[in-house]
Amino acid sequence: MSAATRVIGDEPAGDVRLEAPAWDGRNTGSVRAIRLMMVIALPLTLLYFAWLLQPGRVGNPLLYGVLVAAELFNLVQAAGFWWTTARQAVRPHVALPEGGTPPRVDVFVPVYGEPVEVVEPTITAAQGMQGARVTVFLLDDGDDPAMLALAERHGARYVRRARHEGAKAGNINHALGLTSAPYVVVFDCDHVPDARFLEATLGHFGEDERLAFVQTPQYYANATQGRIQAASWAQQALFFGAIARGKDGHGAMFCAGTNVVFRRAALDAAGGFPEGPLTEDFELSVALHAGGWHSAYVPEVLARGLGPEDMASYVSQQQRWARGCLSASRATLRARLPLRVRAQYLLSSMYFLTGWTVLVYMAMPIIRITTGAQPLNGSTADQFLLHFAPYFGWALLTVSIAGAGSYTFGAFALQSASFWIHIQATILTLLGRRGTFVVTPKRGRAERQLRPVWPALAMLALLVAAALWGLHRGVSPGNLNNVAFAVLHIVVLLSGVWAALVPPRAAAAAGAAGEAGLGDRRRPVPPERLVA
Amino acid sequence: MVVLNAAIGQIARPVAALRAVAAGPSRGMLREQGLVAGAQLAAGVGNLAFALVAARLLAPGPFAELVAFLALYLLIHVPASSLSAGSALSPTLAARTRRRALVWGLGGGALLAGAALPLANVAGVSVGLLLVLATVVPLAPWLALERGRLYGAERHGRVAASLAIEPLLRLALGLPLAAALGAVGGAVGVVLGGWAALAVARSVRSSGPPAGAAARSVPATGTAQRTYAGLATAAFLVLAILQNQDVVLANSLLEPGEAGRFAVLSTLGGLAAFATTTVPLVLLPRAAGGERGALAAALAIAVALGGGAVAAVALVPSGLVGLAFGDRYAAVGALAVPYVGAMALFGVARVLVAHRCAQGGGRRLVAVVGTIAVGQALALVLTADDAGSVATITLCTMLALAGTTALPELLRLRTRSPAPHDVPASGVPQAGSTGDALGPHPDPGPGRDPAERPRIDHRAIARIPDWVAVAVLLVIAAVVRLACTRGIWLDEATSISQAQMPVGHMLEVLRSTDVHPPLYFLILWCIAHAAGTSAIAMRAPSLVAGTALVPVLYLLGRELYDRRAGMLAAALGSVAPFVVWYSQEARMYALFMLFAALATYAQVLILRRGGKRYWLLYAAAAAALLWTQYFGVLFVGVQQVGFLAAAYGLRRSGRPARRFVLAWLGTAALIVVAVAPIVPFALDQFQANQSAGKGFNAPTNAGGGVSAGAQPAPGIYALLTNFVWGVGGYHSDATMAELAALWPLGMLAGLLALGRDRQPLSRLILACAVLPALALFAIGFAKPFLFEIRYFAGAVPLLLVLLARGATGWVRGTAATIGLSAALLGTLSVADADQQLNRSNPRTYDFPGALSQIKRRWHPGDVLLYQPDDLGDVITYYAPDLRMGPLSAGVPQRRDAGRVFLLGSFLTDKGNVRATRAGLARLRRTWRPLGSVRAQQIRVWEFGK
Repeated sequence: MSAATRVIGDEPAGDVRLEAPAWDGRNTGSVRAIRLMMVIALPLTLLYFAWLLQPGRVGNPLLYGVLVAAELFNLVQAAGFWWTTARQAVRPHVALPEGGTPPRVDVFVPVYGEPVEVVEPTITAAQGMQGARVTVFLLDDGDDPAMLALAERHGARYVRRARHEGAKAGNINHALGLTSAPYVVVFDCDHVPDARFLEATLGHFGEDERLAFVQTPQYYANATQGRIQAASWAQQALFFGAIARGKDGHGAMFCAGTNVVFRRAALDAAGGFPEGPLTEDFELSVALHAGGWHSAYVPEVLARGLGPEDMASYVSQQQRWARGCLSASRATLRARLPLRVRAQYLLSSMYFLTGWTVLVYMAMPIIRITTGAQPLNGSTADQFLLHFAPYFGWALLTVSIAGAGSYTFGAFALQSASFWIHIQATILTLLGRRGTFVVTPKRGRAERQLRPVWPALAMLALLVAAALWGLHRGVSPGNLNNVAFAVLHIVVLLSGVWAALVPPRAAAAAGAAGEAGLGDRRRPVPPERLVA
Repeated sequence: MVVLNAAIGQIARPVAALRAVAAGPSRGMLREQGLVAGAQLAAGVGNLAFALVAARLLAPGPFAELVAFLALYLLIHVPASSLSAGSALSPTLAARTRRRALVWGLGGGALLAGAALPLANVAGVSVGLLLVLATVVPLAPWLALERGRLYGAERHGRVAASLAIEPLLRLALGLPLAAALGAVGGAVGVVLGGWAALAVARSVRSSGPPAGAAARSVPATGTAQRTYAGLATAAFLVLAILQNQDVVLANSLLEPGEAGRFAVLSTLGGLAAFATTTVPLVLLPRAAGGERGALAAALAIAVALGGGAVAAVALVPSGLVGLAFGDRYAAVGALAVPYVGAMALFGVARVLVAHRCAQGGGRRLVAVVGTIAVGQALALVLTADDAGSVATITLCTMLALAGTTALPELLRLRTRSPAPHDVPASGVPQAGSTGDALGPHPDPGPGRDPAERPRIDHRAIARIPDWVAVAVLLVIAAVVRLACTRGIWLDEATSISQAQMPVGHMLEVLRSTDVHPPLYFLILWCIAHAAGTSAIAMRAPSLVAGTALVPVLYLLGRELYDRRAGMLAAALGSVAPFVVWYSQEARMYALFMLFAALATYAQVLILRRGGKRYWLLYAAAAAALLWTQYFGVLFVGVQQVGFLAAAYGLRRSGRPARRFVLAWLGTAALIVVAVAPIVPFALDQFQANQSAGKGFNAPTNAGGGVSAGAQPAPGIYALLTNFVWGVGGYHSDATMAELAALWPLGMLAGLLALGRDRQPLSRLILACAVLPALALFAIGFAKPFLFEIRYFAGAVPLLLVLLARGATGWVRGTAATIGLSAALLGTLSVADADQQLNRSNPRTYDFPGALSQIKRRWHPGDVLLYQPDDLGDVITYYAPDLRMGPLSAGVPQRRDAGRVFLLGSFLTDKGNVRATRAGLARLRRTWRPLGSVRAQQIRVWEFGK
């Protein structure tokens, strides 16, 4: 019996990361159908915007301008989505060359205070990966003696820095300086790799000498364990499904920071991971593509991790991504990238501005009800519906079909309730304020979390007040229409923040357990115990 | 034959379930329910016989006094009888309460006796009668407690004896005493009957309940026992108020004539409520013990008795009401069916209330039933203005009561097995431990021992078998459909007129003037020639089809998703306004919906299970659909594409597709052969319409313009309006505008649908519901009248199934599921009530009302003119003896008529308005205007010399 098998057997039976994945990223559905839908979407889009942009539609000029800006931004995003997903690619499996010495691979698992029971399955599974000579490095930035014990227990190398600079990127760069294998794999500490991980990915490097990295999906195995996990996985599934396949089809897949294999030469050429940005993976990808390197995406679940389990974790993750990606847009604009690749990067960065459009849409019924001002000419209400409904409905259907049903209302609601994160990130980015890298917590907290959702709650209160005021004013069709819009946003926001208001019991219990375990394991490790 | 077998196969399951319920312990339950209900019915008949004979024995004055005494007797017994419920649940507590009840009763009786003299003057009842009545005050609670104790001890024979002895003594002693002593003698007989009933009940003293029942029913402590039994008593007290407050309020709110009409209605409705009185009481101890089959048996009896009462009233000619109560009450007959139906629903709800009380859900239930009672009282006080409105409010109340109490049972949301500690030795239901749809039970509170709470054995909770639940829904659906307040309208009158022709002539008329296939008309022809052309007979095919849709919805929902979705779909179908509307109309649209749903169900069975019989069922349903409505071809077309996709899927997945394709092609050929005979018929109709300059541009039936909104081409609001019609029914223009303005909620629905139900069959159902509508929307740009919900009515049942799926499958948690289901059901019920009652509904035409006004003022020699010409059939239907003609034929000269009436309708149509104004101008030139009256959507002008 191998060590990996033994330890996995010792794991608590309930660890969902050890179960078979319930999602297959290789299932593209019918790209032909998506292209057909795109073809139909184009005239519907033209119909709507040709109608919307006519001078006669202007109601309140300011509101009209804001609405049109929001609609145009969303149009760019929607068109980008159609363009991306219409060119999905699923790379065929490329086997490792038979015979000869298997390649050497250094596997980095950076940790920063996570519980041992979260990290242990990752280390044991990484040790068990087949197809290469694997050396697993546990990169502990949390100075946790339990991690040292864990590494020793499983024969992994333990790395601890004397100075913790550059957050995760600095941690990896430090390890890169200590290691030499031609391939480097990075796993977040909660991502348990499949034994076939290297067999499924390394072969692609032999096909393309300029291939810098092979990315695989960041799968959340705990998606069924709570509202937040389910919703955040649904967002991930859309990205690591149709969008990532499409980006790969365009040669523009970027690194997600985990479940990824790098060619060391490419990393060396890029000077390692950039340590300044919050999304080091994203900016590294820009740098690699700008340096003429290529990327690949294997849409097969080869590692199973944990998604954020509470609202605070989710918000923290989204804040980091939003600030990092928006900051990276400058680098994207400056970098010497092919137009198509640049456009893909910009689309990904600009996604984190969608919160502004959500704010605009939510504000419209409030303004209309309270002031009577409206962006569009009031006499065109039925015409608005006639032109807008097909465009909206078709766009929704396209997302549903392209995402193979993985994108859910919960995901949409959570995204909408996080609108303020995008606004905050935009403002901080424009102000040039530097953010700090915060590791996404791996365990949910056993409490109601109002703080991470207070902006959404404030908006919710405004919408409820506006709706009530609207009903108080009367039930004329015009009034009811705006109240209905307010109700639409209320339902969406309420669904999005619900997990913060009513934490699930299981998550609460798990959170309590996780926290209890964490306290004992954060004693600093004496420097003399450092392995490397 | 094979199709028949398939249908029988579907029916066989419920029948097998019925056998299962009737077998084993349930057979005994049915028998005991039947025994007690039989005794109750016998008592009712006996009491009626007593009243009838007394009426002949006594002079009118004494008889009136006796009737007044009986009313007071009932007034005391009705609230007191609620004690039976608590007593049935806790027989030992009943024994302890008896003394207190007796003391209070004697005190009350003494008080009444003491106050007899002044009261006699005030109430107009003799002192003697009041003194006799005083002896009833201690009797009523005592008798209720003792009977309850017998129910709890499951001494049903003794209960039956106690029930039967009362009318026997009334007849045996009361009648001779009445003959000898007058009203007081009769009253003494009545009271003696009551005391005899008590004596019979008391004759079982210390024998106690049987061992099994005792083990189940003994509560843990006195406190819990009192609360448990007290809540049941309170619930039944509120039910007693619900049952009677409409007649009390009607008496004080309505003017005497209307109050009298409602009193007659209440008397008829009382039959249904009275018949089911004992059913919940027999159930209570069984349900407390969680005996399987008890609820099913009780519901079966309640449904049978209530349904029997509805059927009896429906079948009795309305003239009999006049015969029994006097001519002035003859018009009440039209309201009798819905009102008796309401009381039948009340009987069913009372069983469900008893069931929940026995399970420990009394606290919430009292609050809910109390709220409904308050709602009914408020509605009566605020809106009741005639007997019809009181009856309608009561019907809505009973629907709400039945829906509220039935929904948790229908959805059967909690099925978990209990932890062993949930089942104490006492086994008395534990409040809060059941699947209580009315919400979680409150915590016992600090310092209070949870063991004091009554407990329940989850494993033994009696659940309603599906067939019983569907049967209940079927009854509700039938009652709701029978509660039709509108008369025959144009299209119906045209159909009825055609149905009275010789069959060959009818087909020829259809071929040359109509636009619909002949199946429905042939059915109508058979009924017209077998049962006459009364409104109920002519609407019977629609009524049957619309009611039969309920079980089909259940089967379809269950087959597609699960039983919850099926049950909710059936519940929605029972009250869905659009379905209800066309189940009440003598046109083909209810059949259209039924056949579309059946064809879809057959297709789902084929795609899920395969099998020759399902193919044949599909062929039959699809052919019937096409014989009923030409636009059925759109549904069948989408379904054929579904088969094609299934065949392609089989081929793509490498599975053998040959047999499937052959069966599909064979079925398609069968449908083609079945439909072939109507192809020339349809072509002739098209040619005839083309030659008439219509070309299906406007249906031959008048009113088509109204339904299509008279738009030149369908717009986005036409789409919305048709959707609202399909789901929410027909409403006033203002309401429609308001509902259409809620379209952003459609966006919400689209967002909610993200990532859900991606199974191919859901897509097929959605396609069958949406694509025919979109096809007609597109066709509507060329032929505007064709984009109208009636022509894709088959989509409505499918939408209901999808709604049911959304409510039961898209939300997490019991409370959310029940809440959403209840909200949906409540919304449809309210929409149904608005559709049926709101006089602003532009689809409701009060031809009977308008014509009855004309008939009241009619003299020989008068002439009735009408505009537009299409009104001839409907006027002939309601007033065949009037001398009439279309306005377009000209205005009579003064010498040709005594007076002239002009009946105008469809006055929103500009052409009609012009023609009517021109006619009025012509009339005014020759005749003197005498005034005009209005009925819904109709105006009548009267002219004299």
